Amino acid sequence: MSVLRNIAVVGFSHAPIVARDEHRMATETLYPEVRRALAECRVERDAIDYQIAGSTDYMDGRPFGFVAALDVMGSWPARQDLHLEMDAAFGAYYAWIKMQAGEIDTAIVCGYGKTSEGEPERVLNLSLDPYYQAPLGLTPTATAALQASAYMARTGATDGDLAAVAARNRTAGARNPATQVREAASAEQLAATPWAVEPLRRGYLPPIGESGACLVLAAEGKAEKMCDRPAWIQGVDQRIELQTLGARDISRSAGAGLAAKKALAMAGVAGAAQVDVIETSASTPAEELIVLEELGLDRNPEGPAINPSGGPLCGHPLLVTGLIRLGEAFRQLSGRAATHAVPNARRAIVHATQGHCLQQNLFFVLGGERRWT
Amino acid sequence: MKRPVAVVGVGQTHHGSRRADLSIPGLVREAVDRALADAGLEHKDIDAVVIGKAPDQLEGVMQPEQFLAGALGAHLKPLVRVHTAGSVGASTALTAVTHVASGLFDRVLTVAWEKQSEGNAMWALSPNMPFTPPLVAGAGGFFAPYCRAWITRTGCPPHIGPVVAANARDNATRNEYAHLREPMTVDDVMQSPVLWDPIRYLETCPSSDGAVAMIIANEEQAKKGPRRPAWVKSGASYAEAMWVPGRDQVNPRAGRMCAQAVYDKAGIKNPWKEIQTAEMYVPFAWFEPMWLENLGFCDVGEGWKIVDRGEQKFGAHLPVNPSGGVLCTNPIGASGMLRLGEAALQVMGRAGEHQVGGVKNALGHAYGGGAQYFAMWLVSNEL
Repeated sequence: MSVLRNIAVVGFSHAPIVARDEHRMATETLYPEVRRALAECRVERDAIDYQIAGSTDYMDGRPFGFVAALDVMGSWPARQDLHLEMDAAFGAYYAWIKMQAGEIDTAIVCGYGKTSEGEPERVLNLSLDPYYQAPLGLTPTATAALQASAYMARTGATDGDLAAVAARNRTAGARNPATQVREAASAEQLAATPWAVEPLRRGYLPPIGESGACLVLAAEGKAEKMCDRPAWIQGVDQRIELQTLGARDISRSAGAGLAAKKALAMAGVAGAAQVDVIETSASTPAEELIVLEELGLDRNPEGPAINPSGGPLCGHPLLVTGLIRLGEAFRQLSGRAATHAVPNARRAIVHATQGHCLQQNLFFVLGGERRWT
Repeated sequence: MKRPVAVVGVGQTHHGSRRADLSIPGLVREAVDRALADAGLEHKDIDAVVIGKAPDQLEGVMQPEQFLAGALGAHLKPLVRVHTAGSVGASTALTAVTHVASGLFDRVLTVAWEKQSEGNAMWALSPNMPFTPPLVAGAGGFFAPYCRAWITRTGCPPHIGPVVAANARDNATRNEYAHLREPMTVDDVMQSPVLWDPIRYLETCPSSDGAVAMIIANEEQAKKGPRRPAWVKSGASYAEAMWVPGRDQVNPRAGRMCAQAVYDKAGIKNPWKEIQTAEMYVPFAWFEPMWLENLGFCDVGEGWKIVDRGEQKFGAHLPVNPSGGVLCTNPIGASGMLRLGEAALQVMGRAGEHQVGGVKNALGHAYGGGAQYFAMWLVSNEL
């Protein structure tokens, strides 16, 4: 691996995840987070070279919804700008590439969306192949259940295994004041909830919520001035797979496996077991087990704390979820995780995903130390 | 940029109002296959895919790149989906350029597309903004007041829009891929009904099905051939807020800043003298002189005089949109990348019948949102 620029996460703020914010539009939710993230770095907007946002017009229920976000990101005078129709974590990925190209030194990455104004179960059906798969009426819960079945059939994982994963997330989420579901629940309680789509129970599904988030990235030389303990990006990679559910082995995630391997190799980390924290965007217990398997970990790995924030099973603002994982990892490494801090966290893996059945996966490896000298 | 970047392959579909012979993946694939063949490369040579399109509401598929991943040859590769309103085709190509400039990717496939026959563009382009009465008038209704304000400001005479529209159509007769190729006269345009004052029917872009793809590569690949590359000297994407007191929608500051950044990085001091052709995003005829001013080809108030003197015609001083431009072909999400791709073809010397003579530098430009998003590149036949 050639020598790359050291880039760090230096600031992050997100609105508490709620099922429905009755009083604010998406941009009103985002604005204070932009201000807070900049204030955390002790800079004004003019100090930032670039802005990039992630959202989708379909969750917004209208075309060009992201245009309104220009105003609250401080786009006056004009800014170097980009918008991705993706989870905002991919915005951080691309800002990192742009910094590697030497085009910018600093960036804000924003994610937002009002999921409560639509019906995500119906809307996400429309991202399936419109000729052969969407007309079947498959919802994201149905495709996740197909994936869970395939995973359980291949590995012998049981309902109890899924319940244990969900309970671990719920226990962690109870310590995170900014997540949506903050009541701990035991595996027994969750295994007693009714089927949503078998083999997924209601207790194994994420609460769809809404939030707004802003993350600040900076290159070496500026990062140290903006943050006392920057979280350095040591490795990153992303991969997409074919969508067609019948054309891939959905009991696994080949793309997640490849991206994780590449990101760890870039970071010079021998294996995922060596990190202290993993924040994953897996939105069901089966997805989480597949991601852990692709990371080379057991169902209950010794070592890394998995989703100390509670993960998507405690709060899942669509297309912001991945960026929040990155922000949570920054908080852990920079001593800002307060109530849900993992002691002595030095290194973290961040996972973001989008599409049905873990179709596209992005991994970051973050650490307290610079990767390249 | 950290290292030189070039366009080594360009491919586009034959555009039309309804490519009923192709599915969405088929349409995208027609452009991708042509770009790969043009570059003498195969899918296995591609390191990453950067794709863009305008609102997903145009076809009714959310994040359609997810289902297109197979057709794009993107399986197990990195993929980025861009959406910056009308400028998206251009900002998508620039995102691919940055991928290569970073040194992390050597050959990137970039694609932009729209299949407007799958939906209703007027509906999909009529956003319902909070606290704002819905116009339900599409892009034409939105931009007509901008054109009217510009006419008032510059004293532009009423024949300028029709002259631009007729010239664009004349240009498209030389472009085998263009959607609208039937010649028309200035009088034909004058006689066509006003849709949104001052914009007449024949001063309006069509609704098209189409896609365009490019292979963006590093210096080593570019020098391998098989064709002469177009070197990307500079590129930039800028955007500005909607609701700012004093914002000039007619001559947007974001456009001027973006153009200046592109010229500065490319070492262009006088665009009128140093650029031989420009492909700019002109969805309604009046925008051609408006952008000539905004892009610094002339002073404010001089844009319509360039048109009046015919200096932007094919064979004249600065041929603008020799391909026929957006007025003749408008698959919205692809329109911006078509501008950049056509600029690349001009400096490669491979624009066919609409090749402009003696092109060293060419500008590709696109805009979007409420004239808020700007993305452009300057390509050259020399490294």
